[in-house]
Amino acid sequence: MFASLRFETASWMNVRTLALLAALLTTLPAFAQDAAVYTIVARDGKLEPAVIEVPAGKRFKLEVSNDGKTPIEFESKDLKQEKVVAPGAKATFTINALKPGQYKFFDEFHEATAKGMIVVK
Amino acid sequence: MGNALFIVWRESAEAMLVVGILYAWLKRRPDASIGMRYLWGGVAAGIGLALTLALVMLGVASVLSDQGLEYFQLAMMLIAAGLIVQMVFWMRRHGRTFRKELEAGVQAKAAAANWWGMLAVVAIAVGRESAETVVFLYGLSAEQQGIARLLVVVPIGLALAFLTFWALQQGGRFLTWRTFFRVSEILLLLLAGGLLVAGLEKSIGLGLVPPLVDPLWDSTRVLDDSGRLGGLVAALTGYRARPALLPLIALLAYWIIVSLSLRRRT
Repeated sequence: MFASLRFETASWMNVRTLALLAALLTTLPAFAQDAAVYTIVARDGKLEPAVIEVPAGKRFKLEVSNDGKTPIEFESKDLKQEKVVAPGAKATFTINALKPGQYKFFDEFHEATAKGMIVVK
Repeated sequence: MGNALFIVWRESAEAMLVVGILYAWLKRRPDASIGMRYLWGGVAAGIGLALTLALVMLGVASVLSDQGLEYFQLAMMLIAAGLIVQMVFWMRRHGRTFRKELEAGVQAKAAAANWWGMLAVVAIAVGRESAETVVFLYGLSAEQQGIARLLVVVPIGLALAFLTFWALQQGGRFLTWRTFFRVSEILLLLLAGGLLVAGLEKSIGLGLVPPLVDPLWDSTRVLDDSGRLGGLVAALTGYRARPALLPLIALLAYWIIVSLSLRRRT
């Protein structure tokens, strides 16, 4: 099937996409060592704590643990993260050093009530 | 309830846009019947993809590791962006030269090459976001009176998705072909730009590329990308209230390259 995935126009676009993809996939993610870990517990429409204070300029880890009965989608455009976390599962995000400010996050599946922010100082 | 419905509709918007535009476009072609087979084939493959991804996300199936799923989603975003752009170029070229190609007898061969591309783009557009909808609805069913809510949300959600599809078809009927096609092109290119930004942000989130400057500015007060309207605009255009420099440069470069290449072709 893939052999017939040919397009008669703009084939350079294909090459470019593939090259970008290859470059992305071969670059190994930088591994954070000794990064501070902050935990957020999700429980069916609640995220606790709602405010987390983090020092500026330091890489850290965010552990989102879903203790509820329903799946959540942890999302933060500010932190560039988005992930579905099944009930009983845990997700870890490595966050690069941040500038001081407020970084919002929320659970997209319960967006009316499950919101919070990371305050970087 | 309204909240759940909005989520279902929003998650289906991207798929409806791609399927709706292709459907309207195909209907005007003499070889529509062949194209439709690939279109609906793509929809079916997309539903299969959505269900598989949903099972992986819920931890029921372990086809992919946790990290593997992230990379798979990243690949889907970038491939979808590339395929959508390709589709726009293909539609434009094909719309223009169709009669000539038919006379020259090269039509069938040229078209066959891209039917599979169309199937792939439809499958990804349908599968990517619908997987999250499936997980969301599964979650809804586990809540109190969830099954009752599900019985309301699913039919209304499907009706809303169909209404979006129908509205696109009406657009195709009432606008002149040229206008409808222009608007479709812009919507598809905006969507591809949005996917490019989302893909790059995922790459930043995974630590694959540096954000350069993050955030560059803050326009949350003008349009909050976590809000309802802002979230939809963000998904369909690549808008960010607090953009990082790298995705912004990429989006700018994308628009320059795409508009220059399209101009050259007309």
